[in-house]
Amino acid sequence: MLNAVKQSWLTFKSIFTGMGVTIRHFFGPSVTLRYPEERMELPKGARARLFVNIDDCIGCNLCARACPVNCIDIETVAATKDVDLGKTSTGNPKRFWLTRFDIDMAKCMYCDLCVHPCPTNCIYMVPEYEYSEYDRSNLVYHFSNLEPEMVAEVKEKAEQEAEQKKREREEMMRKKAEEKAKKELEEKKKADEEATKNEKENGGE
Amino acid sequence: MIEVISKETGNKEMVINMGPQHPSTHGVLRLELVLDGEIITKVRPHIGYLHRCFEKYAEQMDDYAKVIPYTDRMDYVSAINQEHGYVIALERMLELEVPERVEYIRVIMAELQRIASHLLGIGAFGLDLGAFSPFLYLFTEREKILDIFEKVTGARLLYNYFAVAGLMRDVHPEFKTDTAEFVKTFRPKIKELNDLLSYNKIFIQRTANIGVLPEKVAFNYAASGPVLRGSGVKWDLRKNDPYSIYDRFEFDIPVGTGEVGTLGDCWDRYMVRVKEMEQSLRIIEQALDGMPDEGDVMAAIPKRIRAKEGEIYVRTESPRGELGYYIVSDKSASPFRVKARAPSFVHLSLLPAISRGSLIADMVAIVGSIDIVLGEVDR
Ligand code: SF4
Ligand code: SF4
Repeated sequence: MLNAVKQSWLTFKSIFTGMGVTIRHFFGPSVTLRYPEERMELPKGARARLFVNIDDCIGCNLCARACPVNCIDIETVAATKDVDLGKTSTGNPKRFWLTRFDIDMAKCMYCDLCVHPCPTNCIYMVPEYEYSEYDRSNLVYHFSNLEPEMVAEVKEKAEQEAEQKKREREEMMRKKAEEKAKKELEEKKKADEEATKNEKENGGE
Repeated sequence: MIEVISKETGNKEMVINMGPQHPSTHGVLRLELVLDGEIITKVRPHIGYLHRCFEKYAEQMDDYAKVIPYTDRMDYVSAINQEHGYVIALERMLELEVPERVEYIRVIMAELQRIASHLLGIGAFGLDLGAFSPFLYLFTEREKILDIFEKVTGARLLYNYFAVAGLMRDVHPEFKTDTAEFVKTFRPKIKELNDLLSYNKIFIQRTANIGVLPEKVAFNYAASGPVLRGSGVKWDLRKNDPYSIYDRFEFDIPVGTGEVGTLGDCWDRYMVRVKEMEQSLRIIEQALDGMPDEGDVMAAIPKRIRAKEGEIYVRTESPRGELGYYIVSDKSASPFRVKARAPSFVHLSLLPAISRGSLIADMVAIVGSIDIVLGEVDR
Protein backbone atom coordinates (compact mmCIF):
# COMPACT_ATOMS: atom_id res chain seq x y z
CA MET A 1 0.00 0.00 0.00
CA LEU A 2 2.72 2.39 1.05
CA ASN A 3 4.70 1.41 -2.00
CA ALA A 4 1.75 2.09 -4.28
CA VAL A 5 1.31 5.57 -2.82
CA LYS A 6 5.00 6.24 -3.20
CA GLN A 7 4.95 5.07 -6.79
CA SER A 8 1.98 7.25 -7.65
CA TRP A 9 3.63 10.22 -6.00
CA LEU A 10 6.81 9.64 -8.05
CA THR A 11 4.75 9.35 -11.20
CA PHE A 12 2.93 12.61 -10.56
CA LYS A 13 6.13 14.34 -9.61
CA SER A 14 7.98 13.28 -12.74
CA ILE A 15 5.04 14.21 -14.95
CA PHE A 16 4.78 17.68 -13.44
CA THR A 17 8.52 18.26 -13.70
CA GLY A 18 8.19 17.41 -17.37
CA MET A 19 5.21 19.72 -17.71
CA GLY A 20 7.29 22.50 -16.20
CA VAL A 21 9.88 22.08 -18.91
CA THR A 22 7.21 22.10 -21.58
CA ILE A 23 5.63 25.26 -20.20
CA ARG A 24 8.99 27.00 -20.09
CA HIS A 25 9.49 26.14 -23.73
CA PHE A 26 5.96 27.25 -24.51
CA PHE A 27 6.67 30.78 -23.31
CA GLY A 28 10.18 30.80 -24.64
CA PRO A 29 11.18 32.39 -27.94
CA SER A 30 10.05 30.74 -31.14
CA VAL A 31 12.70 28.73 -32.97
CA THR A 32 10.98 28.23 -36.30
CA LEU A 33 10.57 30.38 -39.39
CA ARG A 34 7.39 30.78 -41.43
CA TYR A 35 9.12 29.63 -44.53
CA PRO A 36 7.78 31.32 -47.63
CA GLU A 37 7.44 34.67 -45.84
CA GLU A 38 10.68 34.43 -43.89
CA ARG A 39 13.76 32.84 -45.30
CA MET A 40 16.88 31.50 -43.71
CA GLU A 41 20.02 33.27 -44.74
CA LEU A 42 22.49 30.65 -45.91
CA PRO A 43 26.05 31.24 -44.72
CA LYS A 44 28.79 32.21 -47.09
CA GLY A 45 30.21 29.14 -48.74
CA ALA A 46 27.06 27.07 -48.42
CA ARG A 47 26.94 24.33 -51.00
CA ALA A 48 23.54 24.56 -52.61
CA ARG A 49 23.90 24.98 -56.35
CA LEU A 50 26.75 24.86 -58.83
CA PHE A 51 27.59 27.81 -60.97
CA VAL A 52 30.11 28.13 -63.78
CA ASN A 53 31.53 31.43 -64.85
CA ILE A 54 31.89 30.33 -68.44
CA ASP A 55 33.98 33.33 -69.47
CA ASP A 56 36.77 32.12 -67.26
CA CYS A 57 36.63 28.46 -68.18
CA ILE A 58 39.54 27.15 -70.21
CA GLY A 59 37.94 23.79 -70.94
CA CYS A 60 40.57 21.75 -69.15
CA ASN A 61 38.07 19.08 -68.12
CA LEU A 62 39.58 18.74 -64.63
CA CYS A 63 36.24 19.28 -62.92
CA ALA A 64 34.51 16.63 -64.99
CA ARG A 65 37.25 14.16 -64.18
CA ALA A 66 37.04 14.89 -60.46
CA CYS A 67 33.32 14.26 -60.28
CA PRO A 68 32.44 10.89 -58.75
CA VAL A 69 29.03 10.68 -60.42
CA ASN A 70 30.00 12.00 -63.86
CA CYS A 71 27.35 14.68 -63.98
CA ILE A 72 29.48 17.29 -65.74
CA ASP A 73 29.47 16.93 -69.49
CA ILE A 74 32.01 19.04 -71.34
CA GLU A 75 32.68 19.12 -75.06
CA THR A 76 35.48 21.29 -76.36
CA VAL A 77 36.61 22.20 -79.81
CA ALA A 78 40.11 23.47 -80.39
CA ALA A 79 40.16 27.07 -81.56
CA THR A 80 41.50 27.60 -85.08
CA LYS A 81 44.59 29.67 -85.69
CA ASP A 82 42.76 32.71 -86.99
CA VAL A 83 40.82 33.37 -83.74
CA ASP A 84 42.12 34.48 -80.41
CA LEU A 85 39.81 33.58 -77.55
CA GLY A 86 41.64 35.88 -75.21
CA LYS A 87 42.54 35.23 -71.64
CA THR A 88 40.62 34.51 -68.47
CA SER A 89 40.50 37.01 -65.65
CA THR A 90 43.21 34.96 -63.95
CA GLY A 91 45.48 35.26 -66.97
CA ASN A 92 45.25 31.74 -68.36
CA PRO A 93 45.07 31.66 -72.16
CA LYS A 94 41.92 30.10 -73.57
CA ARG A 95 42.47 27.59 -76.32
CA PHE A 96 39.14 25.84 -76.64
CA TRP A 97 35.63 26.68 -77.69
CA LEU A 98 33.27 25.27 -75.07
CA THR A 99 30.59 23.88 -77.31
CA ARG A 100 28.93 22.06 -74.44
CA PHE A 101 29.13 22.52 -70.68
CA ASP A 102 26.20 20.80 -69.04
CA ILE A 103 25.79 20.01 -65.36
CA ASP A 104 23.02 17.68 -64.31
CA MET A 105 22.01 19.10 -60.95
CA ALA A 106 19.60 16.22 -60.41
CA LYS A 107 22.56 13.84 -60.36
CA CYS A 108 24.96 16.10 -58.47
CA MET A 109 25.56 15.19 -54.84
CA TYR A 110 27.01 18.55 -53.80
CA CYS A 111 30.29 17.03 -52.77
CA ASP A 112 32.38 20.02 -53.82
CA LEU A 113 35.06 17.81 -55.39
CA CYS A 114 34.80 19.54 -58.75
CA VAL A 115 35.39 22.96 -57.24
CA HIS A 116 38.88 22.37 -55.90
CA PRO A 117 40.86 21.29 -58.98
CA CYS A 118 39.68 24.16 -61.22
CA PRO A 119 42.74 26.22 -62.19
CA THR A 120 40.77 29.42 -62.76
CA ASN A 121 38.25 29.06 -59.90
CA CYS A 122 35.38 29.47 -62.29
CA ILE A 123 33.21 26.61 -61.06
CA TYR A 124 31.83 27.15 -57.61
CA MET A 125 28.84 26.69 -55.32
CA VAL A 126 26.35 29.46 -54.72
CA PRO A 127 23.99 29.61 -51.75
CA GLU A 128 20.77 29.35 -53.68
CA TYR A 129 18.36 26.60 -52.84
CA GLU A 130 15.00 27.33 -54.42
CA TYR A 131 15.27 25.76 -57.80
CA SER A 132 12.79 22.89 -57.87
CA GLU A 133 11.44 21.94 -61.26
CA TYR A 134 8.44 20.00 -62.48
CA ASP A 135 10.50 18.34 -65.17
CA ARG A 136 13.81 16.75 -64.34
CA SER A 137 15.35 17.71 -67.68
CA ASN A 138 15.14 21.34 -66.58
CA LEU A 139 17.72 20.54 -63.93
CA VAL A 140 20.36 20.00 -66.56
CA TYR A 141 22.03 23.37 -66.66
CA HIS A 142 23.59 24.51 -69.89
CA PHE A 143 26.42 26.88 -69.18
CA SER A 144 27.85 27.12 -72.67
CA ASN A 145 26.95 30.50 -74.18
CA LEU A 146 27.55 29.57 -77.81
CA GLU A 147 24.63 29.67 -80.22
CA PRO A 148 23.95 26.44 -82.14
CA GLU A 149 25.00 28.09 -85.42
CA MET A 150 28.21 29.21 -83.79
CA VAL A 151 28.82 25.72 -82.50
CA ALA A 152 28.32 24.30 -85.98
CA GLU A 153 30.61 26.95 -87.42
CA VAL A 154 33.48 26.44 -85.01
CA LYS A 155 33.14 22.70 -85.33
CA GLU A 156 33.30 22.93 -89.11
CA LYS A 157 36.27 25.26 -88.94
CA ALA A 158 38.05 23.06 -86.49
CA GLU A 159 37.30 20.04 -88.64
CA GLN A 160 38.59 21.81 -91.71
CA GLU A 161 41.73 22.76 -89.90
CA ALA A 162 42.16 19.28 -88.60
CA GLU A 163 41.59 17.94 -92.11
CA GLN A 164 44.11 20.38 -93.48
CA LYS A 165 46.62 19.39 -90.87
CA LYS A 166 45.96 15.75 -91.55
CA ARG A 167 46.45 16.29 -95.26
CA GLU A 168 49.63 18.21 -94.69
CA ARG A 169 50.88 15.52 -92.42
CA GLU A 170 49.98 12.84 -94.92
CA GLU A 171 51.70 14.79 -97.65
CA MET A 172 54.79 15.08 -95.57
CA MET A 173 54.67 11.42 -94.69
CA ARG A 174 54.35 10.53 -98.35
CA LYS A 175 57.23 12.73 -99.32
CA LYS A 176 59.33 11.25 -96.61
CA ALA A 177 58.37 7.76 -97.64
CA GLU A 178 59.19 8.53 -101.26
CA GLU A 179 62.55 9.92 -100.36
CA LYS A 180 63.25 6.97 -98.22
CA ALA A 181 62.27 4.58 -101.00
CA LYS A 182 64.49 6.47 -103.44
CA LYS A 183 67.39 6.34 -101.11
CA GLU A 184 66.93 2.68 -100.49
CA LEU A 185 66.73 2.02 -104.18
CA GLU A 186 69.94 3.89 -104.79
CA GLU A 187 71.65 2.11 -101.99
CA LYS A 188 70.54 -1.20 -103.34
CA LYS A 189 71.79 -0.29 -106.77
CA LYS A 190 75.08 0.70 -105.34
CA ALA A 191 75.34 -2.45 -103.36
CA ASP A 192 74.47 -4.50 -106.41
CA GLU A 193 77.05 -2.72 -108.48
CA GLU A 194 79.65 -3.24 -105.87
CA ALA A 195 78.75 -6.85 -105.60
CA THR A 196 79.10 -7.42 -109.33
CA LYS A 197 82.38 -5.48 -109.30
CA ASN A 198 83.69 -7.61 -106.49
CA GLU A 199 82.63 -10.74 -108.28
CA LYS A 200 84.39 -9.60 -111.39
CA GLU A 201 87.49 -8.78 -109.44
CA ASN A 202 87.35 -12.10 -107.68
CA GLY A 203 86.69 -13.87 -110.91
CA GLY A 204 89.61 -12.06 -112.58
CA GLU A 205 92.10 -13.46 -110.16
CA MET B 1 -1.06 -12.48 -42.21
CA ILE B 2 -0.32 -16.17 -41.97
CA GLU B 3 -1.28 -18.48 -39.16
CA VAL B 4 0.88 -21.39 -38.16
CA ILE B 5 0.74 -23.95 -35.41
CA SER B 6 3.75 -23.82 -33.12
CA LYS B 7 5.60 -27.11 -32.91
CA GLU B 8 6.77 -26.41 -29.38
CA THR B 9 3.65 -25.19 -27.64
CA GLY B 10 0.92 -26.26 -30.00
CA ASN B 11 -0.49 -22.75 -29.94
CA LYS B 12 -1.78 -20.97 -32.97
CA GLU B 13 0.82 -18.44 -34.05
CA MET B 14 0.56 -15.51 -36.34
CA VAL B 15 3.17 -14.14 -38.72
CA ILE B 16 3.01 -10.43 -39.39
CA ASN B 17 5.23 -7.90 -41.07
CA MET B 18 6.43 -4.79 -39.32
CA GLY B 19 7.78 -2.43 -41.92
CA PRO B 20 9.37 -1.73 -44.35
CA GLN B 21 7.16 1.36 -44.22
CA HIS B 22 6.70 1.69 -40.50
CA PRO B 23 7.34 4.95 -38.66
CA SER B 24 9.36 3.37 -35.88
CA THR B 25 11.71 1.14 -37.83
CA HIS B 26 14.02 4.10 -38.48
CA GLY B 27 14.15 3.66 -42.20
CA VAL B 28 13.22 0.76 -44.37
CA LEU B 29 13.57 -2.26 -42.15
CA ARG B 30 11.18 -5.15 -42.43
CA LEU B 31 10.70 -7.29 -39.37
CA GLU B 32 8.94 -10.57 -39.72
CA LEU B 33 7.35 -11.25 -36.36
CA VAL B 34 5.92 -14.55 -35.24
CA LEU B 35 3.39 -13.85 -32.51
CA ASP B 36 1.73 -16.02 -29.96
CA GLY B 37 -1.08 -13.70 -29.01
CA GLU B 38 0.82 -10.56 -28.12
CA ILE B 39 4.06 -12.30 -27.23
CA ILE B 40 6.84 -12.36 -29.78
CA THR B 41 8.22 -15.83 -30.30
CA LYS B 42 10.46 -15.11 -33.24
CA VAL B 43 11.87 -12.10 -35.07
CA ARG B 44 13.45 -12.20 -38.45
CA PRO B 45 14.88 -8.91 -39.75
CA HIS B 46 14.86 -8.52 -43.52
CA ILE B 47 17.29 -6.00 -44.87
CA GLY B 48 18.49 -4.69 -48.19
CA TYR B 49 15.86 -2.13 -49.04
CA LEU B 50 18.43 0.65 -48.97
CA HIS B 51 21.31 -1.18 -50.57
CA ARG B 52 23.36 1.16 -52.74
CA CYS B 53 26.48 -0.89 -53.45
CA PHE B 54 28.83 1.30 -51.44
CA GLU B 55 31.62 -1.25 -51.42
CA LYS B 56 31.36 -1.99 -55.12
CA TYR B 57 31.22 1.72 -55.93
CA ALA B 58 34.41 2.24 -53.97
CA GLU B 59 36.18 -0.25 -56.21
CA GLN B 60 34.82 1.46 -59.30
CA MET B 61 36.16 4.90 -58.45
CA ASP B 62 39.41 5.97 -60.05
CA ASP B 63 40.61 7.75 -56.95
CA TYR B 64 40.66 6.95 -53.24
CA ALA B 65 39.42 10.45 -52.41
CA LYS B 66 36.29 10.04 -54.49
CA VAL B 67 35.04 7.41 -52.03
CA ILE B 68 34.79 9.90 -49.15
CA PRO B 69 31.43 11.42 -50.20
CA TYR B 70 30.07 7.89 -50.44
CA THR B 71 31.08 7.05 -46.87
CA ASP B 72 28.93 10.02 -45.81
CA ARG B 73 25.95 8.31 -47.28
CA MET B 74 26.37 5.14 -45.28
CA ASP B 75 25.35 6.53 -41.93
CA TYR B 76 23.84 9.83 -42.92
CA VAL B 77 23.13 10.73 -39.30
CA SER B 78 26.79 10.74 -38.34
CA ALA B 79 28.53 11.42 -41.62
CA ILE B 80 31.61 13.04 -40.09
CA ASN B 81 32.43 9.94 -38.07
CA GLN B 82 32.15 7.78 -41.16
CA GLU B 83 34.61 9.99 -43.01
CA HIS B 84 36.91 10.00 -40.01
CA GLY B 85 37.32 6.23 -40.06
CA TYR B 86 37.99 6.14 -43.77
CA VAL B 87 40.57 8.93 -43.84
CA ILE B 88 42.39 7.49 -40.83
CA ALA B 89 42.58 4.15 -42.62
CA LEU B 90 44.09 5.82 -45.68
CA GLU B 91 46.51 7.86 -43.63
CA ARG B 92 47.80 4.77 -41.85
CA MET B 93 48.07 2.98 -45.16
CA LEU B 94 50.08 5.77 -46.75
CA GLU B 95 51.95 6.54 -43.50
CA LEU B 96 51.05 10.21 -43.70
CA GLU B 97 51.57 12.79 -41.00
CA VAL B 98 48.45 14.75 -40.11
CA PRO B 99 48.90 18.39 -39.06
CA GLU B 100 48.07 19.22 -35.46
CA ARG B 101 45.38 21.75 -36.26
CA VAL B 102 43.64 19.30 -38.57
CA GLU B 103 43.49 16.69 -35.80
CA TYR B 104 41.95 19.14 -33.35
CA ILE B 105 39.33 20.36 -35.79
CA ARG B 106 38.52 16.77 -36.68
CA VAL B 107 38.00 15.79 -33.06
CA ILE B 108 35.75 18.78 -32.42
CA MET B 109 33.70 18.02 -35.50
CA ALA B 110 33.49 14.33 -34.69
CA GLU B 111 32.31 14.97 -31.14
CA LEU B 112 29.76 17.54 -32.30
CA GLN B 113 28.53 14.98 -34.75
CA ARG B 114 28.32 12.38 -31.98
CA ILE B 115 26.09 14.71 -29.99
CA ALA B 116 23.95 15.43 -33.05
CA SER B 117 23.60 11.73 -33.75
CA HIS B 118 22.68 10.90 -30.15
CA LEU B 119 20.16 13.74 -30.12
CA LEU B 120 18.45 12.22 -33.11
CA GLY B 121 18.67 8.71 -31.68
CA ILE B 122 17.27 9.71 -28.31
CA GLY B 123 14.64 11.97 -29.80
CA ALA B 124 13.38 9.32 -32.20
CA PHE B 125 13.46 6.74 -29.40
CA GLY B 126 11.22 8.97 -27.27
CA LEU B 127 8.99 9.67 -30.23
CA ASP B 128 8.48 5.96 -30.84
CA LEU B 129 7.32 5.58 -27.26
CA GLY B 130 4.90 8.46 -27.51
CA ALA B 131 6.96 11.34 -26.10
CA PHE B 132 6.60 13.99 -28.74
CA SER B 133 7.93 17.17 -27.12
CA PRO B 134 11.46 15.94 -26.30
CA PHE B 135 11.88 15.09 -29.96
CA LEU B 136 11.18 18.68 -30.95
CA TYR B 137 13.37 20.20 -28.26
CA LEU B 138 16.25 17.90 -29.11
CA PHE B 139 15.90 18.72 -32.76
CA THR B 140 16.16 22.39 -31.93
CA GLU B 141 19.56 21.63 -30.40
CA ARG B 142 20.53 19.43 -33.30
CA GLU B 143 19.74 22.23 -35.70
CA LYS B 144 22.22 24.41 -33.85
CA ILE B 145 24.95 21.84 -34.43
CA LEU B 146 23.97 21.55 -38.07
CA ASP B 147 24.19 25.33 -38.33
CA ILE B 148 27.76 25.17 -37.07
CA PHE B 149 28.49 22.46 -39.60
CA GLU B 150 26.89 24.38 -42.40
CA LYS B 151 28.95 27.44 -41.65
CA VAL B 152 32.14 25.39 -41.63
CA THR B 153 31.61 22.84 -44.37
CA GLY B 154 28.85 24.35 -46.47
CA ALA B 155 26.53 21.37 -46.08
CA ARG B 156 24.05 20.37 -43.42
CA LEU B 157 24.05 16.61 -43.58
CA LEU B 158 26.53 15.11 -46.02
CA TYR B 159 29.68 17.07 -45.52
CA ASN B 160 32.56 15.57 -47.48
CA TYR B 161 34.73 17.66 -45.20
CA PHE B 162 37.63 15.42 -44.23
CA ALA B 163 40.33 14.84 -46.78
CA VAL B 164 43.29 12.52 -46.55
CA ALA B 165 45.74 14.25 -44.18
CA GLY B 166 43.73 17.43 -44.21
CA LEU B 167 40.38 19.14 -44.51
CA MET B 168 38.56 20.36 -47.57
CA ARG B 169 38.51 23.91 -46.27
CA ASP B 170 39.63 25.83 -43.24
CA VAL B 171 37.22 26.75 -40.49
CA HIS B 172 35.91 30.30 -40.37
CA PRO B 173 37.31 32.72 -37.76
CA GLU B 174 34.24 32.55 -35.49
CA PHE B 175 34.32 28.78 -35.30
CA LYS B 176 35.80 28.71 -31.81
CA THR B 177 33.36 31.18 -30.30
CA ASP B 178 30.40 29.57 -32.06
CA THR B 179 31.28 26.16 -30.71
CA ALA B 180 32.04 27.41 -27.22
CA GLU B 181 28.70 29.19 -27.21
CA PHE B 182 26.92 26.00 -28.21
CA VAL B 183 28.68 24.01 -25.48
CA LYS B 184 27.58 26.57 -22.94
CA THR B 185 23.94 26.59 -24.00
CA PHE B 186 23.74 22.85 -24.44
CA ARG B 187 24.82 21.79 -20.92
CA PRO B 188 21.55 22.85 -19.21
CA LYS B 189 19.57 21.12 -21.95
CA ILE B 190 20.85 17.75 -20.80
CA LYS B 191 19.39 18.35 -17.36
CA GLU B 192 16.18 19.45 -18.99
CA LEU B 193 16.14 16.23 -20.99
CA ASN B 194 16.57 14.22 -17.81
CA ASP B 195 13.64 16.04 -16.22
CA LEU B 196 11.46 15.71 -19.24
CA LEU B 197 12.20 12.21 -20.43
CA SER B 198 14.86 10.15 -18.67
CA TYR B 199 13.26 10.03 -15.23
CA ASN B 200 9.70 10.31 -16.44
CA LYS B 201 7.80 7.46 -14.86
CA ILE B 202 5.90 6.58 -18.02
CA PHE B 203 9.11 6.45 -20.01
CA ILE B 204 10.78 4.29 -17.37
CA GLN B 205 7.83 1.92 -17.37
CA ARG B 206 8.16 1.50 -21.10
CA THR B 207 11.90 0.95 -21.16
CA ALA B 208 13.11 -0.56 -17.88
CA ASN B 209 13.48 -4.37 -17.87
CA ILE B 210 12.69 -4.45 -21.59
CA GLY B 211 15.03 -6.00 -24.13
CA VAL B 212 17.63 -7.00 -21.59
CA LEU B 213 20.99 -7.68 -23.18
CA PRO B 214 23.27 -9.60 -20.81
CA GLU B 215 26.99 -8.99 -21.03
CA LYS B 216 27.73 -12.45 -22.35
CA VAL B 217 25.22 -12.20 -25.20
CA ALA B 218 26.60 -8.79 -26.08
CA PHE B 219 30.08 -10.27 -26.37
CA ASN B 220 28.88 -13.22 -28.40
CA TYR B 221 27.19 -10.98 -30.92
CA ALA B 222 30.19 -8.62 -31.08
CA ALA B 223 28.16 -5.66 -29.87
CA SER B 224 30.02 -2.39 -29.45
CA GLY B 225 29.44 1.25 -28.66
CA PRO B 226 26.52 2.35 -26.48
CA VAL B 227 24.82 -1.04 -26.86
CA LEU B 228 27.77 -2.83 -25.28
CA ARG B 229 28.33 -0.12 -22.67
CA GLY B 230 24.66 -0.28 -21.78
CA SER B 231 25.33 -3.81 -20.58
CA GLY B 232 27.93 -2.51 -18.17
CA VAL B 233 31.08 -3.15 -20.17
CA LYS B 234 33.63 -0.36 -20.06
CA TRP B 235 34.79 -0.46 -23.67
CA ASP B 236 35.32 2.58 -25.80
CA LEU B 237 37.75 2.61 -28.69
CA ARG B 238 38.62 6.23 -28.01
CA LYS B 239 40.15 5.01 -24.76
CA ASN B 240 40.97 1.36 -25.42
CA ASP B 241 42.51 1.76 -28.86
CA PRO B 242 43.07 5.50 -29.20
CA TYR B 243 43.08 6.86 -32.72
CA SER B 244 43.56 10.45 -33.87
CA ILE B 245 44.46 12.44 -30.74
CA TYR B 246 41.89 11.05 -28.33
CA ASP B 247 44.60 9.95 -25.91
CA ARG B 248 45.18 13.60 -25.04
CA PHE B 249 41.75 14.24 -23.61
CA GLU B 250 40.26 13.45 -20.30
CA PHE B 251 36.84 11.90 -20.33
CA ASP B 252 34.92 9.09 -18.71
CA ILE B 253 33.26 6.12 -20.27
CA PRO B 254 29.67 5.99 -19.06
CA VAL B 255 28.27 2.50 -18.64
CA GLY B 256 24.87 1.07 -17.86
CA THR B 257 24.10 0.61 -14.16
CA GLY B 258 20.70 -0.97 -14.06
CA GLU B 259 19.55 2.09 -12.11
CA VAL B 260 15.83 1.72 -12.73
CA GLY B 261 15.62 -1.89 -13.88
CA THR B 262 17.90 -4.68 -14.98
CA LEU B 263 21.41 -4.10 -16.23
CA GLY B 264 21.42 -3.93 -20.02
CA ASP B 265 17.81 -2.95 -20.59
CA CYS B 266 16.56 -0.32 -23.01
CA TRP B 267 16.75 2.43 -20.42
CA ASP B 268 20.42 1.71 -19.73
CA ARG B 269 21.31 1.93 -23.39
CA TYR B 270 19.37 5.17 -23.61
CA MET B 271 21.07 6.63 -20.55
CA VAL B 272 24.54 5.76 -21.80
CA ARG B 273 23.86 7.98 -24.80
CA VAL B 274 22.68 10.84 -22.63
CA LYS B 275 25.78 10.63 -20.46
CA GLU B 276 28.00 10.32 -23.50
CA MET B 277 26.82 13.67 -24.76
CA GLU B 278 28.16 15.25 -21.58
CA GLN B 279 31.52 13.56 -22.11
CA SER B 280 31.58 14.76 -25.69
CA LEU B 281 31.07 18.30 -24.42
CA ARG B 282 34.09 17.83 -22.16
CA ILE B 283 36.22 16.67 -25.07
CA ILE B 284 35.08 19.60 -27.21
CA GLU B 285 36.00 22.07 -24.50
CA GLN B 286 39.48 20.61 -24.09
CA ALA B 287 39.99 20.46 -27.84
CA LEU B 288 38.91 24.09 -28.25
CA ASP B 289 41.50 25.07 -25.66
CA GLY B 290 44.26 23.07 -27.29
CA MET B 291 43.50 23.90 -30.90
CA PRO B 292 46.35 25.81 -32.59
CA ASP B 293 45.22 29.02 -34.25
CA GLU B 294 47.66 28.82 -37.10
CA GLY B 295 48.29 26.17 -39.66
CA ASP B 296 47.32 25.30 -43.19
CA VAL B 297 44.78 22.53 -43.15
CA MET B 298 45.10 21.80 -46.85
CA ALA B 299 48.87 21.74 -47.20
CA ALA B 300 49.43 18.06 -46.46
CA ILE B 301 46.73 16.68 -48.76
CA PRO B 302 48.45 14.48 -51.35
CA LYS B 303 47.74 15.34 -54.99
CA ARG B 304 47.50 11.74 -56.03
CA ILE B 305 47.04 8.80 -53.75
CA ARG B 306 49.10 5.78 -54.63
CA ALA B 307 49.02 3.16 -51.94
CA LYS B 308 51.49 0.35 -51.67
CA GLU B 309 50.26 -3.16 -52.10
CA GLY B 310 48.74 -4.26 -48.84
CA GLU B 311 45.73 -4.20 -46.62
CA ILE B 312 44.63 -2.40 -43.51
CA TYR B 313 41.84 -2.56 -40.97
CA VAL B 314 41.11 0.51 -38.90
CA ARG B 315 38.39 0.74 -36.30
CA THR B 316 36.97 3.90 -34.86
CA GLU B 317 34.24 4.68 -32.38
CA SER B 318 31.26 5.98 -34.27
CA PRO B 319 28.17 7.06 -32.30
CA ARG B 320 26.72 3.64 -33.00
CA GLY B 321 29.73 1.53 -32.15
CA GLU B 322 32.83 0.11 -33.70
CA LEU B 323 33.07 1.28 -37.27
CA GLY B 324 35.79 -0.53 -39.15
CA TYR B 325 37.20 -0.08 -42.60
CA TYR B 326 39.09 -2.85 -44.26
CA ILE B 327 40.90 -1.58 -47.33
CA VAL B 328 42.94 -3.67 -49.73
CA SER B 329 45.22 -1.95 -52.19
CA ASP B 330 46.72 -3.42 -55.33
CA LYS B 331 48.94 -0.43 -56.14
CA SER B 332 46.42 1.00 -58.62
CA ALA B 333 44.70 4.37 -58.19
CA SER B 334 41.51 2.87 -56.79
CA PRO B 335 41.02 0.55 -53.83
CA PHE B 336 40.91 -3.11 -54.70
CA ARG B 337 38.41 -3.76 -51.96
CA VAL B 338 36.71 -1.67 -49.30
CA LYS B 339 34.75 -3.40 -46.60
CA ALA B 340 32.94 -1.47 -43.95
CA ARG B 341 32.20 -3.12 -40.64
CA ALA B 342 28.98 -1.34 -39.80
CA PRO B 343 27.93 -1.38 -36.13
CA SER B 344 24.26 -1.02 -37.05
CA PHE B 345 24.40 -4.23 -39.03
CA VAL B 346 25.93 -6.12 -36.14
CA HIS B 347 23.43 -4.71 -33.68
CA LEU B 348 20.52 -5.56 -35.91
CA SER B 349 21.50 -9.20 -35.66
CA LEU B 350 21.03 -8.86 -31.90
CA LEU B 351 17.30 -8.23 -32.32
CA PRO B 352 16.13 -11.85 -32.39
CA ALA B 353 18.20 -12.61 -29.30
CA ILE B 354 16.90 -9.83 -27.10
CA SER B 355 13.30 -9.50 -28.21
CA ARG B 356 12.13 -13.08 -27.84
CA GLY B 357 9.35 -13.24 -25.28
CA SER B 358 8.58 -9.54 -25.14
CA LEU B 359 5.33 -7.87 -26.10
CA ILE B 360 4.80 -6.57 -29.58
CA ALA B 361 4.51 -3.01 -28.25
CA ASP B 362 7.98 -3.35 -26.73
CA MET B 363 9.49 -4.25 -30.07
CA VAL B 364 9.39 -0.56 -30.91
CA ALA B 365 11.34 0.28 -27.76
CA ILE B 366 13.95 -2.37 -28.48
CA VAL B 367 14.50 -1.28 -32.08
CA GLY B 368 14.75 2.33 -30.91
CA SER B 369 17.20 1.53 -28.14
CA ILE B 370 19.78 -0.12 -30.37
CA ASP B 371 19.64 2.98 -32.56
CA ILE B 372 20.25 1.57 -36.00
CA VAL B 373 20.53 3.53 -39.20
CA LEU B 374 19.41 1.53 -42.16
CA GLY B 375 21.72 3.33 -44.52
CA GLU B 376 24.59 1.78 -42.66
CA VAL B 377 23.01 -1.66 -42.36
CA ASP B 378 22.45 -2.01 -46.08
CA ARG B 379 25.27 0.23 -47.28
S1 SF4 C 1 29.55 18.79 -56.57
FE1 SF4 C 1 30.33 16.69 -56.71
S2 SF4 C 1 28.70 15.56 -57.72
FE2 SF4 C 1 28.28 17.73 -58.07
S3 SF4 C 1 29.21 18.17 -60.03
FE3 SF4 C 1 30.73 18.66 -58.48
S4 SF4 C 1 31.95 16.80 -58.24
FE4 SF4 C 1 30.08 16.23 -59.34
S1 SF4 D 1 38.08 22.83 -64.12
FE1 SF4 D 1 37.42 24.98 -64.35
S2 SF4 D 1 38.49 25.67 -66.19
FE2 SF4 D 1 38.62 23.43 -66.20
S3 SF4 D 1 36.84 22.78 -67.43
FE3 SF4 D 1 36.18 22.80 -65.29
S4 SF4 D 1 35.29 24.81 -64.99
FE4 SF4 D 1 36.49 24.95 -66.86
